[in-house]
Amino acid sequence: MTRLLDLYRHRALIGVLTSRELKARYRGSVLGFFWSLLNPLLMLAVYALVFEVLLPNRSPGTSPYALFLFCGLLPWNWLSSSLTDAAASLLVSGALLKKILFPAEILPIVAVASQAVHFLLALPILLAGLLAGALGLLGPKVALGWPLLQLPVLFVLQGFLLLGIGLFLAALTVHFRDMRDILGTALSLWFFATPILYNLADLKGHSVARLLAWNPLAPLFAAWREALFFGRWITLPAWGLLAVLSLGSFAVGWAFFDRLRDSFPEAV
Amino acid sequence: MEKGETFGVVGANGCGKSTLLKLVAGIFRPTAGRLEVNGKVSALIELGAGFHPEISGRENAVINGVMLGLTRHEIERKLPAIVEFSGLSEFIDQPVKTYSSGMYVRLGFAVAIHVDPDILVVDEVLAVGDEAFAHRCLDTIQELSARGKTILFVTHALSLVEELCDRVLYLDHGRERQMGEPREVLATYRLDVAAGEGARLADFHVQDQQTLLESPEKVAVDEASGTELAPEGAPPQSAAGEASLPPEPAARAVERPRRWGDRSAEITGCRLLDATGSERYAFQSGETLTIEIDVVPRRPLDDFVFGVGLFTPEDLCVHGTNTDVDGLVPELLDAPATVRVSLPRCDLGAGTYLLDVAVHSRRETPYDYWRGACRFRVDSTVADVGVYRPERRWTSSGGVRWRAS
Repeated sequence: MTRLLDLYRHRALIGVLTSRELKARYRGSVLGFFWSLLNPLLMLAVYALVFEVLLPNRSPGTSPYALFLFCGLLPWNWLSSSLTDAAASLLVSGALLKKILFPAEILPIVAVASQAVHFLLALPILLAGLLAGALGLLGPKVALGWPLLQLPVLFVLQGFLLLGIGLFLAALTVHFRDMRDILGTALSLWFFATPILYNLADLKGHSVARLLAWNPLAPLFAAWREALFFGRWITLPAWGLLAVLSLGSFAVGWAFFDRLRDSFPEAV
Repeated sequence: MEKGETFGVVGANGCGKSTLLKLVAGIFRPTAGRLEVNGKVSALIELGAGFHPEISGRENAVINGVMLGLTRHEIERKLPAIVEFSGLSEFIDQPVKTYSSGMYVRLGFAVAIHVDPDILVVDEVLAVGDEAFAHRCLDTIQELSARGKTILFVTHALSLVEELCDRVLYLDHGRERQMGEPREVLATYRLDVAAGEGARLADFHVQDQQTLLESPEKVAVDEASGTELAPEGAPPQSAAGEASLPPEPAARAVERPRRWGDRSAEITGCRLLDATGSERYAFQSGETLTIEIDVVPRRPLDDFVFGVGLFTPEDLCVHGTNTDVDGLVPELLDAPATVRVSLPRCDLGAGTYLLDVAVHSRRETPYDYWRGACRFRVDSTVADVGVYRPERRWTSSGGVRWRAS
């Protein structure tokens, strides 16, 4: 528990390491920070091409599809890159753990935090898209309004969820290095199992739908879409579920990490 | 350890010195036992650990400082001093991937020293960096010590330990071998090291003798190898015949055999003895050293000379002599015999030496020549240099005075 309070004390460290991470990532590249915007746009272009032109998605209510997709894709990018980085974080910075007294939990936290910054940097593009959608430039008008205010709360909840999973994966990967390889495949599977390319409601009656509804990420991504694309308020029970999932994930991830903490300096 | 003490830890590689420091620094946790640390620890175990290659020295210094427990504000305030101390002001805005390893360590040391710890843990880091910077580091450590900081210090530079430490712990395989006054503990350590080295050399000697004994008979060598131990003339060319070195190129090995001669008299063994007469291959400078050569004649000989030659591994002849030049006139060698030559004071400088032994005729026909027959070490408690260590006395007159040591 005191460790948890220490996190507050270490906020400066988290801050400088996150900014270092961001600076170092784009150091020497021509477009620099623009990649944070460009990457999701390019990815969006690929998905839009596939699902609007090559394999048109015919379910009603997902139009304009590019926008529909973007509302799920952006948080997903944050999730998948955070988890990949977090899982490797302790091994990559093994020298720190071995050679100096360094609070290990900082490393996965920084991984999640720096990806959060990328997410926030790309957010204006999404908002611009939503604005264009609201003006009817992209096809059927989307509703844009006060429900956008739910966005910061969703951001915080997803943050805790990612910290939880990230801490868990980081600790696990130290002792079970295969995790890094498993994670890549698991994430692609998880991507398709999560309602990002489709609306879960549209699969009603499909035998898989019931299974997919159990995906712990489904409520979160449904919520992003509710707030951003459909412009609706999320119901109280849904909020409750989200809060339990993300805080629960954080509690479990933290406990697991804390349990293994002493083993890190010798194992990395 | 007491507060304000400078405490050294010495021991062989892998004896647990670094592990001990990491325990103190809180990086490792003890699996058994208890460890109590009062105060802020700054560990100079790996300087510059956590530097990111892509970003500048300045930014890395800030991050490193925060990692070591400073607030952002404190480190910003100390940054000019850190840059100044590191002497890297020209390069401070370059990414650290462009730094040399010495520069890396300088920056790391500069940051670590400015963290203002209560307890400073130093692990063999002063070996890197140039001479000037090493001095600066030592000065800083001494200054910190003078300001009452506690310093825990690991190094293989024993003279540093002697100079800096109040107390020393000698670790052997993870256990305390001795703890106390630097002078006493280091003496034990040096003796142990010399004994270990001596045992290793003695083992080597046994094996090497076997090699020499089994080497094939070879009557003549090409003229270049100068088969005689002429005390005044051209030194016999003795290549460093050390089994522990990488093998010589085959061509050279053929060219310079380890043993040659017509074996009219055969050397069957050669060893070094100390003052008490026991075999030894590690000596202190100034000790009595005796060379013992066993010889078996094939036929009775009335013309024979025993010779010895001392060489450095670089093939420098330190000394060469034989019974002939020393005025012993041969009469008869008709049965197995042992010949000894004693050096009451072997005033060699510290280092490794090779001994050639030979028996030959007075007209320089080699009967049996062993190149590198013994390999031994000389250790010295004095840090003078060179192969010869004469007795000496300094005197002075005029306006010069010396403090009593």
